[in-house]
Amino acid sequence: MGTAEGTARDEAALREQLASFRPLLALSMVMTGRDEVEILRMATTAVPSLGGCRVEGVYLDDDWQVIGEVDRPVNADSLCGRLAALDASGGPLEVNGAEWAWAYPLANQADMAGHVVVSRDTKPAPHHQFLLSVLVQQAGVALANARLHTRERASLERERDTAARERATADELRAANLALERAVADLARSSAAVQRSLDIHNRLTAAACAGEGQAGIARTVHALTGLPVAIEDRHGNLAAWAGPGQPDPYPKPTTARREQVLQRALEAGGPVRDRGRLIALAQQGHEVLGVIALVDPNRTAGDAERVALEHGNTVLTLELAHLQALGEVELRLRRDLAEELLAGTDAESARDRARALGYDLARPHRVVVVTNGARGVEPEKFFHAVRRAVRATEVGSLLVTRWGRVAVLCDADQDWEQLWGSITAELGPRGSCRIGVGGPCTEPPDFPRSHEQAQLALKMQVETGCPDQITVFEDLGIYRLLSEVANIGSIETFIQRWLGALLCYDATKGAQLVETLSGYLECGGNYDLTAKGLSLHRSTLRYRLQRIRDVSGHDLNDPDTRFNLQLATRAWTTVHAMRHQP
Amino acid sequence: MRPQVVTMTESVKFGIAGLSVPQGTHLCGFYWGIDERDEMVFAFLREGLRSGDKCLYATDAIDRPAIQTELNGGADVPSTRQQLDIVSSSDVYLGGGDFSVPEMLNYWDGWAATSRDDGFSSARAVGEMTWAVTEIIGAANLIRYETELNGFVPRYPLVLLCVYDLDKFRGDLLVDIMKTHPRVLMGCTVLENLYYVSHDELVNSRP
Repeated sequence: MGTAEGTARDEAALREQLASFRPLLALSMVMTGRDEVEILRMATTAVPSLGGCRVEGVYLDDDWQVIGEVDRPVNADSLCGRLAALDASGGPLEVNGAEWAWAYPLANQADMAGHVVVSRDTKPAPHHQFLLSVLVQQAGVALANARLHTRERASLERERDTAARERATADELRAANLALERAVADLARSSAAVQRSLDIHNRLTAAACAGEGQAGIARTVHALTGLPVAIEDRHGNLAAWAGPGQPDPYPKPTTARREQVLQRALEAGGPVRDRGRLIALAQQGHEVLGVIALVDPNRTAGDAERVALEHGNTVLTLELAHLQALGEVELRLRRDLAEELLAGTDAESARDRARALGYDLARPHRVVVVTNGARGVEPEKFFHAVRRAVRATEVGSLLVTRWGRVAVLCDADQDWEQLWGSITAELGPRGSCRIGVGGPCTEPPDFPRSHEQAQLALKMQVETGCPDQITVFEDLGIYRLLSEVANIGSIETFIQRWLGALLCYDATKGAQLVETLSGYLECGGNYDLTAKGLSLHRSTLRYRLQRIRDVSGHDLNDPDTRFNLQLATRAWTTVHAMRHQP
Repeated sequence: MRPQVVTMTESVKFGIAGLSVPQGTHLCGFYWGIDERDEMVFAFLREGLRSGDKCLYATDAIDRPAIQTELNGGADVPSTRQQLDIVSSSDVYLGGGDFSVPEMLNYWDGWAATSRDDGFSSARAVGEMTWAVTEIIGAANLIRYETELNGFVPRYPLVLLCVYDLDKFRGDLLVDIMKTHPRVLMGCTVLENLYYVSHDELVNSRP
């Protein structure tokens, strides 16, 4: 009889143990992704359901925590001493008014987070003690996870500042992963779900560490879930796909719809459904770096698939943050190189730095300067428009902003019209720009000269009243010759000889006789073209030309005089442009 | 309403996670926060509206007309009958002043009868349980109600979903409900418990 009763008791205990085990896994699931307070609240409030036990206290990070109704225990100080003497498996304690009390470790062997102290009027049944240990272990894993995520987020923030710390972040991830692995190892026998979660994390981390990039992450998540996986950038452009049924062309949502979905996912703070997909955001703070999606039109994805997606998203976030940090650093290094080349630098040092960046400085180059011709375009937007156009037309990859202009170090001769068209297209319907192209440079010390020439070409384009276009230094003709005269004093003497009286008149009267004369001569003496080019009425032009004849005393119909006057006005334009270069 | 003494093997789409359940199913659902609640509840009710079921949502939300618009708009099902009732959860559960398991079973019996009289061959309802956090009815009473429903609902052409906000409830309620139910919803994930026990077994296991 006694044996039969014992067997019935054992069966009842086993049934309750089995009945309780699934809820504990559910608790583990709901604790995953929560903050520390929520994890501890769920765990401590679940304790009474396991044999009617109560929580005496939660000792975490060397202090007693207040978690809901759980406060500092009455004999807190003496308990602290006893807890310090316990090993990682926990042990019995003495608690006032309770026959039985036990300290269960918040399992994280690599870094003992603390203990949950549980008591009961009488000693609980062994299966209840087992379930309590599982519950607190699950809480410990969730806690380790929460701290891992916190550390990962902190690591991601640090990644933004410098790519050099990427290695440290990877080490940290591996160390945290190892800690997680140790923590979960204790549960491996009793929790297949947690083991699976660890496997998922390991496979994904392995894919990321193997440098397989986004394609590797997509392949791994696909292999884990059996569902097609898409990785997209913030705007919905496909970056990687794994699994069958890749749409071609890949559909792109409208900006408004995309923003709506991203906002919903940001607010949810975890995977959300978007039509036939389950999506998660790879984000740093509020900045969305990318999106990973399980394509699941039949809504078959369960908790295992969701866990795989979340782990995949964690690794993707690291990958994208890493790429972004690398991109920013490379961009900065390239800008530094471009700055130094334009300012003039030691040839050997420049070659070394270019080699480190994988940039071939031995190719012939030209410096191209681009200015914004449209109003209302912010300098940063303008820079990025030029950068995209330069990349699209493959004219070079070193560019830098100088004095509100963008200087591009282009690979020798290119189709400048195509570059101009590409930049204006990037700037949008009202976009416009001016381009000045400097002379060729074959050695690093040539770059400052080419840069000056590009700026002069640009300036001449403005000074001669040209619309927004491209001006190549070699095509400046007489302007180029004038700009290259070493003794600028002789040019100024020549200008004074032919335009001195007119310049004096303009200066004292605020008139524009030199500009009018220049326009008239550049138009070959054609009244209509000159009036149109200078936006003047014909009679005003006729009056000004008469004033020019009177003030200068020159006969504008004499061929030699006309030649010298045109040379003088061009020289004046060239000197003016050279003096007003930045 | 007299319970229908028939075996209801007809499978109905639950509207969540591709789940199909027999008529007469009762499920408990757990969620974190309003978004997860809306995702679960709206999917369940929209499927009911599409299927022509009489639907009821007992909610804590104050802006019930907005929910009505959201659900009717999302279902694309113009109806000449009053297909969707949105009512205050405290009116449903505490209509008589105190929570009473027998009175609640009477309520569901009456609502199912009215639905049938209005010409609906099947019905589905959601009961939001957050009111139970502020009312002192005891966790044991709540568990008893939920387990009673397990035996009660299968006699009606009705699918009933009781939803709990994990922000508001304690871990022991989740554990006890999972212990006593073969299947629960966690957000939009279905969790099965092959080893669930009856309410009496649960009470007897307590010290």
